[in-house]
Amino acid sequence: MAAPCRRIAGRSLLQFLSSFSRTSVSNSGFRQFSSTSVCRGSRQAQHVEEIASSPWTLMAAVCLQRLPVISAESNPIEQQFRDMMSQMEFEKSMMSDHELRLLDDAEKMRRMQAGEYDSDEEENRRDQEIVLAQDLEDSWEQKLKNFQPAARVSDSEGDPGSLQRRLSDSLLLLVERPVGREKLWMLPQTEWQRGETLRETAERALSSLPAASGFKATFLGNTPCGVYKYKLPRAARTESSVGTKVFFFKAVLSDAGAPPATESPESSLLWVTKSELQRYVKPAYLMKVERFLLGF
Amino acid sequence: MNAVFRKLQASATQQAFVLNQALTTCRATPSIQHPVWASVNERQYKSMPTHGIGRWRYLLPKDPPKKKRDRQQMKEIVVETETTYATLNVNVSGYDMTVVEHFSQHIHNLCNRLGIKVLDCYALQTKTTEVWLMQEQGTKMSVDSFLKTHNRVVQLRSLNATMCPIFLEVLLKNQPEGVQLSVQEHTEVDYKTRFKGRPELEGLKAKISH
Repeated sequence: MAAPCRRIAGRSLLQFLSSFSRTSVSNSGFRQFSSTSVCRGSRQAQHVEEIASSPWTLMAAVCLQRLPVISAESNPIEQQFRDMMSQMEFEKSMMSDHELRLLDDAEKMRRMQAGEYDSDEEENRRDQEIVLAQDLEDSWEQKLKNFQPAARVSDSEGDPGSLQRRLSDSLLLLVERPVGREKLWMLPQTEWQRGETLRETAERALSSLPAASGFKATFLGNTPCGVYKYKLPRAARTESSVGTKVFFFKAVLSDAGAPPATESPESSLLWVTKSELQRYVKPAYLMKVERFLLGF
Repeated sequence: MNAVFRKLQASATQQAFVLNQALTTCRATPSIQHPVWASVNERQYKSMPTHGIGRWRYLLPKDPPKKKRDRQQMKEIVVETETTYATLNVNVSGYDMTVVEHFSQHIHNLCNRLGIKVLDCYALQTKTTEVWLMQEQGTKMSVDSFLKTHNRVVQLRSLNATMCPIFLEVLLKNQPEGVQLSVQEHTEVDYKTRFKGRPELEGLKAKISH
C-alpha cells in the first residue's frame, strides 16, 4: 500500500533548524526505514497510482518534545572532576591582562606610598589612569551581586500539565483519546488522508489539538522514527479493517505561545519525561515508543 | 692500504647505488621518507637468488599525484534519489571558543561513529563585536568590551533521510549553553564567502574592462 510520492515545498526557516527543501519520501506502509529502491517513475509523472486497498488504517502521530531549558545537574563524581580540572587549569594558566594590570597598580601604589621614586613618573601615570583596575573589579562584583538568577526548580514541578516543570529534562506531549470504550493516553495522532504525505498528517495532528493551538514545532525530518501496529480485537475485525498502523514523527517545540484561556478538562495535555511515561501509557504502546525516545 | 682503498671505493659505489635506489623509490612514493643507509658493510650479492630479498616498496600501490586544492564544492544532486539530502552545513557559533570547538569536534566524531560522511570541516572568520555601554548616571561614560563570535562548520555529504531526525535530535540534546546551532544547505555563496577579497585584482580587472 503506497501513498503517492510528493514534492514538499520549501518551508520557512525557524530558529535554529533550517528547512530542507525538495526532499520527498516514499510512504510504503511497510516497516522499513532505510528505503533503498525508491520509486522514481511515480515522481516524474505525478499521476495517482492504483492504490491497492489494504486492511490497515494508516495514522501519523507526532512525538513533540520540549528540550531541556537549563543544563542538567551533575553527579558528585562529575562535580569533583570538574573542580579538580578547573583547579589544574588555573594552576597551569598564565595571567590575563586584567590581572597583570592589578599587579602593576598594586606595585605603583606601594611605590607612591613609600615615596621612593621620582614624582615625574607618577604625575605622568596619574593623568593616564583615571580608573584603577581594582575599581573596575569592584564595580563588576557589585553588578554580579545585583544579578538574581531564576530558580532552577519552578513551583509547578509536580503538575504534569505545566510546561515549566523539570527544566533540565526533555518533556514529551501526551493527549488522552477515547479508543473503543476507554480513554487512553497516547501521542497526538490523526488518520492519513489520501493525497498528503505522512509528515503533513503529523503536522495536522499537532495543529488539530485545541489546547495546542499556539504551539510552534519544528519537525526534525521527513521520515518516521517509529511504528506501532494495532490489531483490532477479533470481534471488531472486518474485511476492510484489520487494524491500524501508527507512524511517529519527531518534532521539537520551538514556541509554546500563549497558554489557553479556558481550561477545558476534556482535552488535556500532559508533559512527561521518559521515565514517567510508563505510568500513563499502555505497555505494548510503551514498548514501541520507548525505542525512539532518547534520554531518560 | 690497497685493500683499504678498494674497500672504500667499493663502499662508495655501494652508497651511490643505494642512493640511486633511494631516489627512484622516492620518486615513486614522494610522501614516504626514505632512510639513509649509512652502513658500509652491506654487499649486494647480485648473482645470488636472494638478491633484493628485502625489497617491499615496489609492492605498494602507486598513489596518484596530489591535485591542487582548488576543487569546487561537491554538491550531491540528491533531489532525484529522494533518500538523501544535499550537502549540509552544520554551523556552530558562539562567544566561547573552547566550547564551540569542542562541540564541533563532538559533531565530527558523532558523524564518524554513525557512518555519516563528512566532506569538510572548517572555520569561518571570527567576527568581533564591540559593546558600548552608556551609563545613564550623569557622566555618560561609555564602558566598552569586545565579544568575539567564533564559527565552525561541519559539512556533511549525503545525509540519509532516516538518519536525519535521529542525528538532529542528538545534536540538539547535546548542545551546550551559549552555542547556537544551525543546519543549512551548502550553496556557492557560502563557498565564496570563505575567500578573502583581492582588491588589487579587482582594481586591475576594472581597469581592463574600462
